[in-house]
Amino acid sequence: MSAHNRGTELDLSWISKIQVNHPAVLRRAEQIQARRTVKKEWQAAWLLKAVTFIDLTTLSGDDTSSNIQRLCYKAKYPIREDLLKALNMHDKGITTAAVCVYPARVCDAVKALKAAGCNIPVASVAAGFPAGQTHLKTRLEEIRLAVEDGATEIDVVINRSLVLTGQWEALYDEIRQFRKACGEAHLKTILATGELGTLTNVYKASMIAMMAGSDFIKTSTGKETVNATFPVAIVMLRAIRDFFWKTGNKEELGDEWLKPELFRIGASTLLSDIERQIYHHVTGRYAAYHDLPMS
Amino acid sequence: MAATRAGPRAREIFTSLEYGPVPESHACALAGRGDPEAPAAAVDPGIPGDWAGCSRGVIGLILPPTFSFLEMMWRICPALAVGCTVVALVPPASPAPLLLAQLAGELGPFPGILNVLSGPASLVPILASQPGIRKVAFCGAPEEGRALRRSLAGECAELGLALGTESLLLLTDTADVDSAVEGVVDAAWSDRGPGGLRLLIQESVWDEAMRRLQERMGRLRSGRGLDGAVDMGARGAAACDLVQRFVREAQSQGAQVFQAGDVPSERPFYPPTLVSNLPPASPCAQVEVPWPVVVASPFRTAKEALLVANGTPRGGSASVWSERLGQALELGYGLQVGTVWINAHGLRDPSVPTGGCKESGCSWHGGPDGLYEYLRPSGTPARLSCLSKNLNYDTFGLAVPSTLPAGPEIGPSPAPPYGLFVGGRFQAPGARSSRPIRDSSGNLHGYVAEGGAKDIRGAVEAAHQAFPGWAGQSPGARAALLWALAAALERRKSTLASRLERQGAELKAAEAEVELSARRLRAWGARVQAQGHTLQVAGLRGPVLRLREPLGVLAVVCPDEWPLLAFVSLLAPALAYGNTVVMVPSAACPLLALEVCQDMATVFPAGLANVVTGDRDHLTRCLALHQDVQAMWYFGSAQGSQFVEWASAGNLKPVWASRGCPRAWDQEAEGAGPELGLRVARTKALWLPMGD
Repeated sequence: MSAHNRGTELDLSWISKIQVNHPAVLRRAEQIQARRTVKKEWQAAWLLKAVTFIDLTTLSGDDTSSNIQRLCYKAKYPIREDLLKALNMHDKGITTAAVCVYPARVCDAVKALKAAGCNIPVASVAAGFPAGQTHLKTRLEEIRLAVEDGATEIDVVINRSLVLTGQWEALYDEIRQFRKACGEAHLKTILATGELGTLTNVYKASMIAMMAGSDFIKTSTGKETVNATFPVAIVMLRAIRDFFWKTGNKEELGDEWLKPELFRIGASTLLSDIERQIYHHVTGRYAAYHDLPMS
Repeated sequence: MAATRAGPRAREIFTSLEYGPVPESHACALAGRGDPEAPAAAVDPGIPGDWAGCSRGVIGLILPPTFSFLEMMWRICPALAVGCTVVALVPPASPAPLLLAQLAGELGPFPGILNVLSGPASLVPILASQPGIRKVAFCGAPEEGRALRRSLAGECAELGLALGTESLLLLTDTADVDSAVEGVVDAAWSDRGPGGLRLLIQESVWDEAMRRLQERMGRLRSGRGLDGAVDMGARGAAACDLVQRFVREAQSQGAQVFQAGDVPSERPFYPPTLVSNLPPASPCAQVEVPWPVVVASPFRTAKEALLVANGTPRGGSASVWSERLGQALELGYGLQVGTVWINAHGLRDPSVPTGGCKESGCSWHGGPDGLYEYLRPSGTPARLSCLSKNLNYDTFGLAVPSTLPAGPEIGPSPAPPYGLFVGGRFQAPGARSSRPIRDSSGNLHGYVAEGGAKDIRGAVEAAHQAFPGWAGQSPGARAALLWALAAALERRKSTLASRLERQGAELKAAEAEVELSARRLRAWGARVQAQGHTLQVAGLRGPVLRLREPLGVLAVVCPDEWPLLAFVSLLAPALAYGNTVVMVPSAACPLLALEVCQDMATVFPAGLANVVTGDRDHLTRCLALHQDVQAMWYFGSAQGSQFVEWASAGNLKPVWASRGCPRAWDQEAEGAGPELGLRVARTKALWLPMGD
């Protein structure tokens, strides 16, 4: 696993003068989507790469050990074996990046993955997921318990009310405490961008989260009305690039960033969509529902 | 359609069509406006309902070597929609217009509405001087535009110029810098922008902006053809030569040049270039910035930014990047350009007027202003009169013919001579001489001053000093002053009427003339209350304002007939719209104008209206050659009209010349019609995309 982000001291001057112009970012998003489209075997290759970024997720009230087990197997074998063979990619060890579950199901997930002989990390959501409107004490306790149960990545949600009221120091402190409670586990901070109001807030929250030591920043919980969109992703990527500039790191966000240690997509149905696309690329036909194994 | 035989700019067809509705819908939407029977209610309030007279006739369209297909469509479609026919001259390297003409030719009942000639630049003067052409629309480089203006002086065709490709981007410290950098890419390093970019960055964000800009340049890709993975193409060998010369010269002047990007090293491809530290006095800083160069300079405050930005002869388009509403609007209103985008760059739409001012020419395409280019106001003659070929431009109006004394004066001695009305008061002319004015029975009516070049210079200076204050007044305040002048005229009706009687008018007609003048003053004051209006643009969230701004200092040479009415009919709209004027009154009887000046001395602020009397040809020469007069209206002789058109090539000022045709000033359509309202101000399109 890659090294942790050590974070920095809080420096509010990094966010005090920032402005994000929404229509301009929208225009840039449209431009990017309209150009550089990928087709044919290059599209299949990018789709397989995308699979390796997925945090395969199930976050429902009716999760039990049986569907967790199915999920873990799907995580180990995300694409049907014969399709991978047709693309000559069956021996490259293509699995999803992680499995993401509620804290109460971490034990089941760890057990299922061990039985499958797979060392994919188990990520647990924590800190009052999805709304984050619980006391700080219980949020920290959730993180500790999940880490004890065997989760090696923790997906926390930030306290949106702190962003909306502009209490950046308090936000920084909270995330710092989450970081400490995680211990050796990786901290992924979900910003819930659909509830932050403006793109400027998204940028500022991203910056604070990185300063406080998050290893990843994620757009959304999947439970808001608006989840991950292109413009939001652009703003967050700009924040990450600026953070690396300010902390002296010379990397730009280019191809070298496209590794599962550095980039993730939280998804549940995305995997079946990708599998459908690959099925179509290999066989030239559209798959039926039962052609592809359930997750 | 032309993608298969892709010319060097073929990619632009596809990228531009992403950004603009197809021109056919534009033509259909606007065709209704060209119809004289269309009810006035269907026309939006910015267009006078009785304007649409008739189409002009045959339009000659001349396109530069690197023109965009979409721009060509935006010029051809409105012309065809209002009933003109087009002859287009295109450079030989692009087959797309020929294909378009072929399609147009397949319209059975109307062959010949669109004709395309593919030829070199030497055909331009030949096409322009063809007898059948009524209007020449020229797009291209400023120097060629000037040359064309000089050669077309006095010809039958009117000239519309759209010159230059440079634009401006103003980055303040309250901007979203990353988005502004994307704006720079749109302006200069994509196929959507026509030319280079001047970039003004506020000093406090200079380092950040330059760093982001350079990093972004590194990720640009250049390539050929319709490859979807590239950002910009090439523009031909000539453009490549031009930019190489520019960059070499800039480096020799001590500028820093930064180039980056994934660009093939063969000839017509040139990498994106960022030039900084270019000394403002170097020759590179005076010419247009070529594609794909961005010249960056710093500024300290918003006020300084306006001075720097307005300090060039270019007046095409500009964008302002600022998240503070007040600052963005102040900069947007203050920039002397034809189009301003706030927090965006390069947005275009057929229903928004696009054009320029100063040396970017004053012709428009798109929106209602684009339609007026191809329409002739009802009442003006269908053909402009063709004038003499052998007018000597060097000697016209140069020397004032000296008048011998008229002999011993008989009768009571006349009043002391009038001075020149400059700077709000009467002053003696530089030459310290005056000329006699005779009335209709040949007796001496009075003496007026003999103005010369120095007086013109003083008058223009006074007008410039008064301009910022006057333009900054609200339309209501301006209207109030015009009404005050109207009231003053009515109070002095008997004096003015008696003067007119001495010039040969009947008493009743004289009084009617005075009343009509006062009415006109009031009418223009009221008409100017509604200034800009909002356009709805498809695909944009947010308004686009079509503002009408004053031109600046307007020079007017009044006709000989209607000494009071014509003077007031020209003065009123000019002042109502916020211009300041320098006027040369009727040569036959300037005394009426000078009487009005006595009222203006008490009612108006100093320098608003300046009246200079003297030899008309000499004063015309001085005004036409003056580089700091923003527009000129000439209602004198045919020869004078030709000279004025020729001389306007100096600073490309818009010119309205009567070519010796008399005008019925007492008729509403000609004396106070919408044509005056159109020519007296210039348009600016202000784009305000919204969203947070």
